[in-house]
Amino acid sequence: MGTAGVIFDGLLALALVWLAWQATRAADLFHAVVSFIVFGLLMALAWVRLEAPDIALAEAAIGAGATGALLLSALDRLVTREGRRTVLYEPGAAWGFWIPAGAALLGALTLAAWKLPAPGLGDEVLASLGASGVDHPVTAVLLNFRALDTLLEIGVLLLAAVTIWSLGRAPSPLVPVMPSPALPALGRLLFPVFVLVAAYLLWRGSHAPGGAFPAGAVLGAGAILMLLAGARPWIRSSEHGPWRWILSLGLAMLLAAGIAGTVMGQAFFQYPPGTAGPLILLLEVAAGLSIALLLFALYLRGEPCEHGYRGSGP
Amino acid sequence: MIPGTAGPVVLFSLPLAAAIVVFIRPRWSVPVTLGTGAVLLAVALWLVGVVLQQGGWRQDIGGWTAPLGIGWNVDGLSATMLLLNAAVGLAGAAFHAARPAPPATARDPRFFWPLWLFLWGGLNALFLAADLFNVYVALEFVSIASVGLIGLVGGSAQAAAWRYLLATLLGSTIYLLGVALLYGRYAALDLALLAEGVEPDLVTAVAAALMTLGLLLKAAIFPLHFWLPAAHGRAPPAVSAVLSAVVIAAGYYLLVRLWFGPFAPLLGTGVATLLGLLGAAAVLWGGLLALMQRHLKMLIAYSTVSQFGYGLLVFPLVAAGAAHPAWAGAVMLVLAHGLAKAALFLAAGAIILRHGIGRLEALGGDQRGAVVAWVAFAVASASLVGLPPTGGFVGKWWLAQAALASGGYFWLAVLMLGTAFTAAYLWRALQAAVEPGWESGGEPPTLSPALGLGALLLALSAAALGLAAPLIARLLDAGPGVSG
Repeated sequence: MGTAGVIFDGLLALALVWLAWQATRAADLFHAVVSFIVFGLLMALAWVRLEAPDIALAEAAIGAGATGALLLSALDRLVTREGRRTVLYEPGAAWGFWIPAGAALLGALTLAAWKLPAPGLGDEVLASLGASGVDHPVTAVLLNFRALDTLLEIGVLLLAAVTIWSLGRAPSPLVPVMPSPALPALGRLLFPVFVLVAAYLLWRGSHAPGGAFPAGAVLGAGAILMLLAGARPWIRSSEHGPWRWILSLGLAMLLAAGIAGTVMGQAFFQYPPGTAGPLILLLEVAAGLSIALLLFALYLRGEPCEHGYRGSGP
Repeated sequence: MIPGTAGPVVLFSLPLAAAIVVFIRPRWSVPVTLGTGAVLLAVALWLVGVVLQQGGWRQDIGGWTAPLGIGWNVDGLSATMLLLNAAVGLAGAAFHAARPAPPATARDPRFFWPLWLFLWGGLNALFLAADLFNVYVALEFVSIASVGLIGLVGGSAQAAAWRYLLATLLGSTIYLLGVALLYGRYAALDLALLAEGVEPDLVTAVAAALMTLGLLLKAAIFPLHFWLPAAHGRAPPAVSAVLSAVVIAAGYYLLVRLWFGPFAPLLGTGVATLLGLLGAAAVLWGGLLALMQRHLKMLIAYSTVSQFGYGLLVFPLVAAGAAHPAWAGAVMLVLAHGLAKAALFLAAGAIILRHGIGRLEALGGDQRGAVVAWVAFAVASASLVGLPPTGGFVGKWWLAQAALASGGYFWLAVLMLGTAFTAAYLWRALQAAVEPGWESGGEPPTLSPALGLGALLLALSAAALGLAAPLIARLLDAGPGVSG
């Protein structure tokens, strides 16, 4: 790595710390949220520098995109202007506990990270890649070597959606009236592109950075953009219709794949020889669909209407 | 294939599959959950039997061995925790199914059942996991399901759920930092692999400190217990039961797994004494605050803070050389506490439904419809205090033996003083039953007799645990290590 790289990384690290400070200390909540979104974008850049493009994609789509949109719409629902300008910290608690504790933690982590040999398991993963059914190490880890983690992670997403539904109904109207007439048109124009990119990422996952999580995140972010551009949220919480099925599809398919191994007399989640490749692709499609819809459902901030918005919407 | 490997598959998959079913078809919730619970209880019992016969084992997931793959670990400790989870899960579900429908003005907790099953599955995944990152994902599962369940009734419970969310997420994040350091240092996440290779150096010490801090926060060990009383006191009764009995125990379970597994080389007298002192402070402070509560459920919630202090006494006692009785005693206490505490919360739920209010001074007078619940409360109290022959008695007896054998008279004094506090605050609650109480106008509400029954069965099993002491001792004979 050349000098330019070192300088760039140093600036990036400094900017990240400064934005984190802004996001937590800014007295104006809007300022804090914008700092947080920029933090997510720079974090994605940091992942690129660490040669982890998969994580960079997910960070940009979820960390900056979906989370940022959620925070902005939460901000919008704080009715008074005074509510947006709050002192987020008490100087006593901050200087008496949190800042010293944070500094101690940072110091200990820096000292420990300095001494890390960081061997990782990269060589072991590459050595077993041939038997995993895919050519991309990240996909092999996520859907074969450590598929159990992925099952639980998709489960956490579904669980989060159910938890949000349990808190109450989605607010209506979901988005404020649009000031710009160009936005709905732009949203409609862009959505097919989102679908195309998501499908491409999904297909790429077997041999290059991509796969279910980035694809689902991109598709979900596209759907959220459509919503912001004035589209009606088409998802329903009714027991009839496909929505609850699609939300659960990823977890259900992964569970089925796990149990199938046991039923066939092998270990839990052991794919039959020769079928790993197609099975993983099938699981990725199911998981990607569920992830996209789950992210969209999380954005609705509550249980959607049971039978449609016509008549009750804006 | 070892006989018994199908057990973990069922215990892991069934609650998650059932959660999906009741999410898609809410009207099947009660039969699906109760049926699932019955199967899970039977499988957990069978698994305990298999472990008694052939000892523990490790099974690989996906046919990949560690360090590349993930494994499940089944031994005496995990099998007993799985059994505890199944017993409390089934009793709690039965209570929730039998409770009278909430009034039309109250929030309808429509998503109780999927959240309940998700929590069940997350806890089972956690007790089976032999991999530090898999544990983290399971912890997230448990945390989010708990937050949802606490907030179901709305109002002040949602504020408590929010505080719990912040506390538990902070705990998870700190834990994850430690996991990342360990992975960077040893290129392994498997508990057994780490236990073989860990060296007492700076990176390991920082990782151990971070992970312990995160888990102490999750187990609500003094002084990190601030979030517990409101969350456990305001949740629906079945939720309070599983939170106090099993979710807190899960944090403690991981502490024990780590400190008697990978971090064992770091467990010197200093660390052990520090953890023991935190436990002693928890026993006394929690006991004192429980004594001062005016609301029945808050009293029981503070009792949880106090009782988990005993669990931490295992560290100084083992470090002082009294490994076996201390270890078995602590696990026995956690089990007996789980059964008794779930019984107390369910009984309290029934009693509060009967009287319509939870203030201690209002619970006296006419007890028609709450007699079974009060009997369950009394039996569970006997076990929590430690009257022979209950499980609580055996656990305390073993801990006391360990303290005497290693000359730890200070820890013995903590044990005695804590018992006195426990007796005092539980006596206050039982006393309320025979006081005049507040005159309630009109007939008492008709409650399903099944409401108190689950509590009674749990209380009786806490008591019967003492009779099963030889079996428990044999189950835990292998010690706290993880089978490789």
